[in-house]
Formats: sequence, C-alpha cells, structure tokens
Amino acid sequence: MINTEVEQEELMTLLVAVARSDRQAFQRLYEKIAARMFGLCFKLAGQQELAEEALQDAFVQIWHHAGEYHSDRGSPLSWMLTIARYRTLDLMRARTVRRTAGDEHLEHLEDPRSGPLDHSLRRAGAEQLTGCLDELSDVQRDSILLSYYRGFTHDELAQALSSPIGTVKSWIRRGLMALKRCLER
Amino acid sequence: MKKTPERIESLAAEYVLGSLKGKARNRFERWMMESGRVRQEVWYWEEKLGQLGDRVPEREPPESVWLAIQHRLWPQQEKSLAPRQAANRIWPAWSLLATAAALVLAVLLVQQPAPEPTLSGAIVQADVSDPLWLVSESGRDNRLRLRSVAATSAEAGKDYELWIVPDKGDPLSLGVIPVGDVYHVELTDEARETLSQSRTLAISLEPRGGSPTGAPTGPILHVTKLYEL
Repeated sequence: MINTEVEQEELMTLLVAVARSDRQAFQRLYEKIAARMFGLCFKLAGQQELAEEALQDAFVQIWHHAGEYHSDRGSPLSWMLTIARYRTLDLMRARTVRRTAGDEHLEHLEDPRSGPLDHSLRRAGAEQLTGCLDELSDVQRDSILLSYYRGFTHDELAQALSSPIGTVKSWIRRGLMALKRCLER
Repeated sequence: MKKTPERIESLAAEYVLGSLKGKARNRFERWMMESGRVRQEVWYWEEKLGQLGDRVPEREPPESVWLAIQHRLWPQQEKSLAPRQAANRIWPAWSLLATAAALVLAVLLVQQPAPEPTLSGAIVQADVSDPLWLVSESGRDNRLRLRSVAATSAEAGKDYELWIVPDKGDPLSLGVIPVGDVYHVELTDEARETLSQSRTLAISLEPRGGSPTGAPTGPILHVTKLYEL
C-alpha cells in the first residue's frame, strides 16, 4: 500500500521527473502504482479488457499532463487514481457496460465495514471519510458507494435498490451534502 | 443555469462521483473551464472521494498494458524496428521488447459459433489494410491455427517466430511460422494455460530456423492480444 508520506514524496519526485519527459521515472511510476490503479479500474469496470484500456489511457494522460499536477488536487496518488477513474467511467459510458442487479459486489457494499473492502480502513484518511459515511443513512451510503466503486448509473441504482430514480437521485445529493458537512466539522 | 454556491457544491460532488451524466456533465465541464471556484470544489471532492480508492484491493495488470502504453507514446521507436530497417538489430533481452514492440490490438473476428470459448484475433499492421495473420484457437484439441493473409516473407536468411507472452516470466516459443500458408501448432497444457491467462502473442524476426537461444533474439515485430469468442 502506498500511503505513507515518504511514499507520496517519492511519487511526487517521480511525477516531477515525468513532467520533464523522463522515461525511466515514468516506468518506475508505472511499476509503483499500476497494480493500485488497475485494482480500481477493474473494480469499477467489472471486466478485464475495459480496465486494461482505461489503465493504458490513464498512463498516457499522466505522461502528457504530469506538469499540471499541483497540491490543490490532493496527493499525487489520489490525482493519478482520479484520472484512471474518470477514464474508466468514460469508457463504461461509451460502451454502456451493463451489470445485473444481482451483482455480487452489492453484498459487500451494503455494509462497507465487512468484506474485502475492509482492509484499507487502516488508512487514517479513509477512516475519517468512513467515519462520516457512517453518519449517512444506509441508502444514502449505499448509493454513493455503488456509484463510486461500481459506476452505477441512476437507472442501475434504482434497479439495484428497488426504488424510483427520483428517490435515488435525492439520496445521492443529500448524502453527498451530509458527507461534506461532516468532513468540514 | 446560474452558478449558485449550492449548485456548484452539489454538481461538483456528483461530477466527481460520476453520477452527473450526459448534457449536464458537459455543461458542468464548461463551468469548470470558466471558473476557478468550480474547479476548487471539484478538487475538494476528488481528494475526499479519492480516499475511497484506497480501500480497493490491488490487481496486477498484464505486461501487455505497459507495452501498449509505450507503443502509444513512442511509436517512432517501433518504426525504427520495422522489419526492413531493423533486420540487423540484435535485441539483448526480452525486457527491452517493451520499447520497440509494434503492439497492435487484435480485431475481433466473427466466427462460426464454437462449442466452447476459444481465443481469436488478428495480427495487423497499421499501414496494411488486411490482417497479416489470423489467429484462432480450438479449445477441444488444444490447437492454435495461424492463417497467413497479408504477411510478406521475412527477408533472406530470416524467419518469423511465434511466441506466447505470459503475464509474468519468459516468452514461450510456438515455433517458426510460414508465410502464405496455414500453420497449426499443438499447445501443451502449460502453454494453453499460459495463453488463456495472458491472451498475448508476439512475433519476432529470428535467424533462419528460429531463435538459437530459446528466447527472442531479434526485433519484436508484432504483439497482439487475443479475444475470447
């Protein structure tokens, strides 16, 4: 897991070198974070090929845009993971990747404190967010997590949670605002 | 729609989450271009929601992704290794394949319905309209079939050699492939297992009769990813 300050510092150094078109630094960066990033893409896409394509695109973008990173955009790692996540979502939309409502991941997400997602709770930042997630109602939290981890559309959420679209939309909106109020406390 | 603080707040969160879609997403991207305040709000959420990404388990991507990235970023290196110019170059190690591989993603081919999932694909070259070779695999008798379509002969004294590129470890030779003919190769259980995991084939240019070392020694001309039918 890359989450210590030392490792973020190392990623920052690599990113600066990549911005200067240093190919070796780019390769080291890839070796350091590709598995992390691919895990996220795969979780989101739920399929290997699309995840591979997203990972590829994300690194091509990182090569071209490394110089645009700045600390307002979060840690270097979170900036790069965000690029990969958006790219995966774009590809999913373009292909209209569909999942079935009986998705295995639903079970894990219904209670984020159990199941394989649990490991990373170790990280302080995630704990902070998770602490706030716990303040949301179950449906608000599930809607947000399903959107984040699985890229569910409003339609898919409505189906998965057996509720009208309007209701799902409002769960997400209110959940996110409640999350922000909590994070700002 | 006016950019009220409440709207910015709520739309930025939904934008980052991914639930903002279609026209609304495009409109919001325009807002981001126009306003630093909007971008700040987006960055806030990217950082906060990004923490959720830490909870996802790692997954090792196949080697072919790194090859493809390099191919896209530095295609000129591939050109310098096109068969004619690069025939005399000797490649010291397979690990260097990455910088020069002419990686082309296979085109999905429509085939007769098969009794069980089989791998299929094509080895193509950007400037040639027909595929060089078509590849198909039969799960029943563990055979890989390579039909040469637009492939041209290797230059004098050289042969093309076919390899399975595993997700990890050294490539596995499938022998020298003829041009203008159909080539069948029987896969060992190990080879079939490796191929079904990585689904990646490569073709290198070797001295006549194939690589003398058991590992690719010449330039890697093509890397292709097969698809499951």
